[in-house]
Amino acid sequence: MKLPRWLTGRGHRPALPPDQAARLAAWQGQPAADLTLPFEQARYVVVDVESTGLDMRRDRLIAIGAVAVAHGRIRLADSFEIVLRQEAISDKDNILIHGIGGERQREGIEPAEALLRFLEYLGNSPLVAFHVAFDAIMIRRACQQYLGLDWRHPWLDLAYVMPALLPQYARKYRALDHWVGHFGIGNYARHNALADALATAQLLLTALPLARRQGQNHYRALQELERAQHWLDRNG
Amino acid sequence: MPADNALIAATAEHLRRFAPFDRMAAEHLSWLAERLRLGYYAKDETVLAPEQGEVRTFYIIKQGVIRGEREGQGAWLELHEGECFPIGALLSRRPAISHFRAQTDVFCYELDARDFHALLELSPPFHAFCTLRLADLLAQSQRRTQARYLSAATEQQSLESTLGSLVRRPPVTCRPDTPLRESLEIMRAQGIGSIVVVSPDGTPEGIFTVRDLIGRVILPATPLETPMREVMSPQPVALASTAHAFEAALAMARHGFRHVLVADQGRLVGVVSEKDLFSLQRIGVTQISSAIRAANELGQLQQAAADIRQLGHNMMAQGVGAEQLTLLLSTLNDLLTQRVIELECAEAELCRERFCWLAFGSEGRLEQTLATDQDNGIIFSLAPGESADAVRARLVPLAERINRALDACGFPLCRGQIMAMNPKWCLALEEWKALFARWIDAGDPESLLNASIFFDFRPLHGQAALAEQLRQWLSTKAAANPRFLHQMVTNALRNRPPLGLVRDFVTDSGGAHADTLDLKLNGATPFVDAARVFALATGANATGTAQRLRQAGPKLNIPPAEIEAWVSAFFFIQLLRLRRQHEESEAGQPLDNRINPDRLNDLDRRILKEAFRQARKIQARLALDYQA
Repeated sequence: MKLPRWLTGRGHRPALPPDQAARLAAWQGQPAADLTLPFEQARYVVVDVESTGLDMRRDRLIAIGAVAVAHGRIRLADSFEIVLRQEAISDKDNILIHGIGGERQREGIEPAEALLRFLEYLGNSPLVAFHVAFDAIMIRRACQQYLGLDWRHPWLDLAYVMPALLPQYARKYRALDHWVGHFGIGNYARHNALADALATAQLLLTALPLARRQGQNHYRALQELERAQHWLDRNG
Repeated sequence: MPADNALIAATAEHLRRFAPFDRMAAEHLSWLAERLRLGYYAKDETVLAPEQGEVRTFYIIKQGVIRGEREGQGAWLELHEGECFPIGALLSRRPAISHFRAQTDVFCYELDARDFHALLELSPPFHAFCTLRLADLLAQSQRRTQARYLSAATEQQSLESTLGSLVRRPPVTCRPDTPLRESLEIMRAQGIGSIVVVSPDGTPEGIFTVRDLIGRVILPATPLETPMREVMSPQPVALASTAHAFEAALAMARHGFRHVLVADQGRLVGVVSEKDLFSLQRIGVTQISSAIRAANELGQLQQAAADIRQLGHNMMAQGVGAEQLTLLLSTLNDLLTQRVIELECAEAELCRERFCWLAFGSEGRLEQTLATDQDNGIIFSLAPGESADAVRARLVPLAERINRALDACGFPLCRGQIMAMNPKWCLALEEWKALFARWIDAGDPESLLNASIFFDFRPLHGQAALAEQLRQWLSTKAAANPRFLHQMVTNALRNRPPLGLVRDFVTDSGGAHADTLDLKLNGATPFVDAARVFALATGANATGTAQRLRQAGPKLNIPPAEIEAWVSAFFFIQLLRLRRQHEESEAGQPLDNRINPDRLNDLDRRILKEAFRQARKIQARLALDYQA
């Protein structure tokens, strides 16, 4: 897929200090994950981001929340949360949504460092989100801007996988809230990146036995399911 | 790498809403949260099964409902948010006994067995919860009951009552010029210890008490014509009726008085004595029992009966357990009944040597609650040549007076007419034996129902030996009739504890009792019935449920821990009944045994579930031993 110019940045490549550059090189040097590992053996990272707004072109990444699903279970301690330091504070309405006030935005971690920590936490595990496009572009643009990294990583979008697994609800449920509501999944703090990532991860857990029942038991198979559902949505 | 993040904190917060996590140290709770995994089980999926071998995981339900099933028994327990399992299997490092299945979509926190054992070492409250479980939950509940009743009780008993509320009758007075003799005669006639001297306009001028007699009248040989103003204590201490009892106590202590006047704007309202303040502070077992023993008229016994109920309330406030409480109530009620019988017998001039008053039902088992109607009868012996009908004809009128006197004391007449005044239940020893034998041989529903009431008989007054003979005869007869025990068991098992499948409890769904369950019928009765069968089968002679279980346990090879779990469960249900009845009596409602489980607090609801689970277990044992 060829990305538009505004996404890949303006050829700007920041100079990282040597230690950060070394960490980035180490991360890039990892072998790619085997996407055909059965669910019981693989580690996936479920991610959710908060940004200054919903405009993918102008708005910036504020926070990343991530929860790992390993061996078919969410390991609570294997989770990640980081707030990126902002040069300009997001406007008030937006603060009301994600709850990260100006103070915390200013006190966040320096962006390059924050993103490096995220990548190190991520390792080579494939990613999962609900409405991937937004999360993927936000992280990708930040990586470009602060790490000079043309970041490419496997993604899986539950917004397409869930309707593919439960077609009877495909028309009824669109938003994450619909699906988590269906399974009675609670959310201890909606619009908090980590809490939303947990709810999304719980949704992924519900998807795994459904997929297994259809004979799919690895990430790649779910990606194919997602692709088929995209096609259905566009042409159905 | 342990993450010190909001997710761990949120998980710890969530767990903190449930026992035992609510009592664990914050650091241990974090330690636990950091080690938890979150698993998902689709509806109907198996979470844990015996065939999986030694249990490797400790489960805490995050959301959803899990149902436990046992081989051949169907669903028998239901677990909800915040509940954990399988503790017993983890502790003894064995496979689970039950099959755990998701009844809805379920998310469970999961902890490695290794970490579970580490946490046991780390956290004493967690350890206590896992090893004592029911006992630990009960102790918690008891502390809450205590806290709840304490405020009410101290208010009732405390020295914060106003003096106005303590004045029992209008003051007895005389004038300053009344002769001493006249005043002393008034005091004697009214049975009072003090008299207030008032001026014609009603202003108190002084007080004279029995204690003043020795120093002011007898030793100085004061003539009885002396006017009161010369022997009274002038300027008595008077307090307003709005003053608190402790102010009166303080005044008495300070001045060495035993009486304080209560007066508003100079006008006398009454007298409060040290004794009034004292009785305010405690209605003790000894006071009540000596009052009963000394009573020689119905009015005094009625007062004692009221005091017994008040004592019951006070003891609940002190957190006294249901076992001690019901035993104490029954003991005092026994004493009261005995005194009623003695007084009636004395009046009837009937010798009590040849009959014995029997208590049946809950009174027979020493398990009376606050709402107890009468269940009694008479057993008598026959002199040579005497006919049972002739003796009965003499005893029934006496029994009727006793039954009515007990009714007046707050033990309502039995609606089922199970009372000594009913000639059907006033029988000679041989007649009782014949009747019991008929029930045992017939085994029809009515006989079984009768057996469940009458076989709990206990001698209360008179010739206890008659009751003992009947007991011994019954033990032999019942134990030798396996068919009868079998029928008793079948009958008992018809009454299943209301552990529901859809919700926590099965409650009545309509009518006057919508959403409630009957603690007596559904809760206490399974234990009572089972204990009766165990006792009859093993020849145990106790009539109390707990005693019966403890006596029969070793003979039936039931582990003591299991017996104690049953006993605790039984008494918890009894405690809930007492609490419910107490609330109803405070609200002026008729007393019953129905509660709405939704109105219980979380902890009590969990204990009640656990208690019902124990009821299922005791029934399972019953079925195993006597139904096959």
